[in-house]
Amino acid sequence: MSKAFGIINFAGNHIQVDGLQSYRPVGAFSFLGRYRTIDFPISNMSNSGIDNIEVYVRRKPRSLTEHLGTGRHYNINSKRGQLNIMYTENNRIGDIYSTDVAAYIENMDCIERIHLPYVVIAPSYMIYTADYSTFLSEHIESGADISMMYHAVDNAKDAFLNCSTLNINRQKGVLSIEPNHGNAKNKNISMDTYVMSKELFIDLVKKAYKTSSMYTFADILNEECENLDIRAVSHRGYFAAICDFNSYYQANMVLTDLKHASDLFSPDWPIYTRTNDSCPTQYFEGSKVTSSVVSNGCLIEGTVENSIIGRGCVIKPGAIVKNCIISADVVIGKGVHVENLVVDKHARLIRGKRVIASPEKPGYIKRGDTL
Amino acid sequence: MKQNNMLAMILAGGRGSRLHDLTKKVAKPAVSYGGKYRIIDFPLSNCANSGIDVVGVLTQYESILLNSYVAAGRRWGLDAKDSGVYVLPPREKSDANLDVYRGTADAISQNIDFIDTYSPEYLLILSGDHIYKMNYAKMLAYHRECRADATIAVIEVPMKEASRFGIMNTNETGRIVEFEEKPEHPKSNLASMGIYIFNWKQLRRMLLADMKDPDSSHDFGKDIIPAMLNDGGNLFAYKFKGYWKDVGTIDSLWEANMDLLDRNNELDLNDSTWKIYTEDVTALPQYIGADAVIDRAFITQGCVIDGEVHNSVLFTGAKVAAGAKVINSVLMPGAEVEEGAVVTRALVADGVRIGKNAVVGSAGSKNIELVAKRVKGDE
Repeated sequence: MSKAFGIINFAGNHIQVDGLQSYRPVGAFSFLGRYRTIDFPISNMSNSGIDNIEVYVRRKPRSLTEHLGTGRHYNINSKRGQLNIMYTENNRIGDIYSTDVAAYIENMDCIERIHLPYVVIAPSYMIYTADYSTFLSEHIESGADISMMYHAVDNAKDAFLNCSTLNINRQKGVLSIEPNHGNAKNKNISMDTYVMSKELFIDLVKKAYKTSSMYTFADILNEECENLDIRAVSHRGYFAAICDFNSYYQANMVLTDLKHASDLFSPDWPIYTRTNDSCPTQYFEGSKVTSSVVSNGCLIEGTVENSIIGRGCVIKPGAIVKNCIISADVVIGKGVHVENLVVDKHARLIRGKRVIASPEKPGYIKRGDTL
Repeated sequence: MKQNNMLAMILAGGRGSRLHDLTKKVAKPAVSYGGKYRIIDFPLSNCANSGIDVVGVLTQYESILLNSYVAAGRRWGLDAKDSGVYVLPPREKSDANLDVYRGTADAISQNIDFIDTYSPEYLLILSGDHIYKMNYAKMLAYHRECRADATIAVIEVPMKEASRFGIMNTNETGRIVEFEEKPEHPKSNLASMGIYIFNWKQLRRMLLADMKDPDSSHDFGKDIIPAMLNDGGNLFAYKFKGYWKDVGTIDSLWEANMDLLDRNNELDLNDSTWKIYTEDVTALPQYIGADAVIDRAFITQGCVIDGEVHNSVLFTGAKVAAGAKVINSVLMPGAEVEEGAVVTRALVADGVRIGKNAVVGSAGSKNIELVAKRVKGDE
């Protein structure tokens, strides 16, 4: 059992994913067909022995609470462990008062009651796997006040634009936390993943709240870089931040290649999710499926190429699905050709025979829409 | 128990010896089927979907895996208060020595104390090795309507195959007038499915008598049902329509899997109103490679397909490497077909690897080839 409890933070105001986010928070986004993005941080915590987890939600909680349920599917000890969903009242999107700090303050009595000396904080809008037990033990060993994870990237000019970057010295000390202005290719992207003592966490939250009502936790950390020993810990492997529509599309599509997927998934690090009890997928004569990731419960008669197909989808004869992310329970009708799209849950693309977006700017089909 | 006052007992002790190596280490009800299921998922899910909360599973042969598998009642939603799946292997009691279950009826007799703790009004007897979807609540309604002493589910089989089954001869009201086990000259084609509803108090008396009878083989079909008919009991046949299969052999297990490839097949595992529940695995979704060819297949999560799959059923974690071909075959969980290998009309057992360029099975074979050991290929 871990000496830390876990906090999974909601995506802040800087994260805006057009379309999908109108229906659910980023944590509840469908990912690679059978997962939700929040499955990754929770599985990371569960696999690291953290079984006391707080998930913060600020708006549209329905689909997230339905998915999390009792948390049993995350392999968290059902008696000693707990998965708590923490609501906030300041929940309007874009509201400057709706910060993570405000949410922690609102739930401070719950945080103070937890009898564990450390806290690991992870975001719900980033996809990666990491072992928090070594993150924690190395943090304790180092004697630092705070350790935070970063991922060195070479495409910061046109990706990770809403993320924070870390300015690090040679000893891996964090000098400052700055927004990514897209002015350089090589940047250390902050993974918004921290470990520190519970005591320090509470102090910083209270300090941030006192300093400014619009301060986020990253803001106060940036201010405290001079006073505190904050260490940066490098992360390797697959890393994606879902900070806008394009990054959501890319984060998914890159995983259609099993080689990239093996940077994220490993047999000794299971990613748990809620089962839907769907039966296997049925491929009929005439179906043609290549370079794709397919979930269970589908009926496939058409052509699927370089796409991700969610649970329970129907791809009718003559349909062509190319470079698409299809969410659960979608119907692609007879002879319908779709390309470069993200199709949200329960949509039916049956009338319009060609729905094709440009590869540079993938299109979005609304939840439950009929085309 | 509150829901309909009926308790279910699943007979899951069968060895299934005609399944050869597949049942060497696991009992037949634990054999994998349909990509992601085990056979016993069917009666258990049927119970859960029919509103039966308490299920006893009678195990005997190679039961380690089966016992732990069924004990996790929450897989089928059978974990609410006053609900549960009970694993019931033979046990030593204060007034009786440890003894194996001598027959289907004896398995129930030896657990009278368990059933009494729930004192149900009705007892449903099921077999753990049949594949079908059935609403037992409807059968119970029929049992009540007929004021029957016992109701036996029957299915119409082709007349020429009737002599392989236990056949129920009924009058025009559906009342059973005669029961014939594997008759040479069958008078009807209503085959017993091994599914019985009894009134518990009445059955309890009969079982106590049967236990003491030295000439009895302690079997429902051979002893209890004929005795009830001799006593002039009110036994009714409940006609079931739909898919039902007792997979006794490798050929029939293969065939039952192949049935799933048919469009609108009768079993319809995709029916969201009557789901079959099973163990939740954490495998990835299916990965279909750039050069894969999939033509008529039933494939589940964890599979990685880079080669060709024709007319086949692939279970959790099965892999088909580039250049490999799987034709008219069943790949059980974790089976791997390496580069260039060809598998035809075969059933590849759990975790078995078919090496590079190896050839297994043949299109014209009379029987399905069971591959239970690693096949070496080019090294």
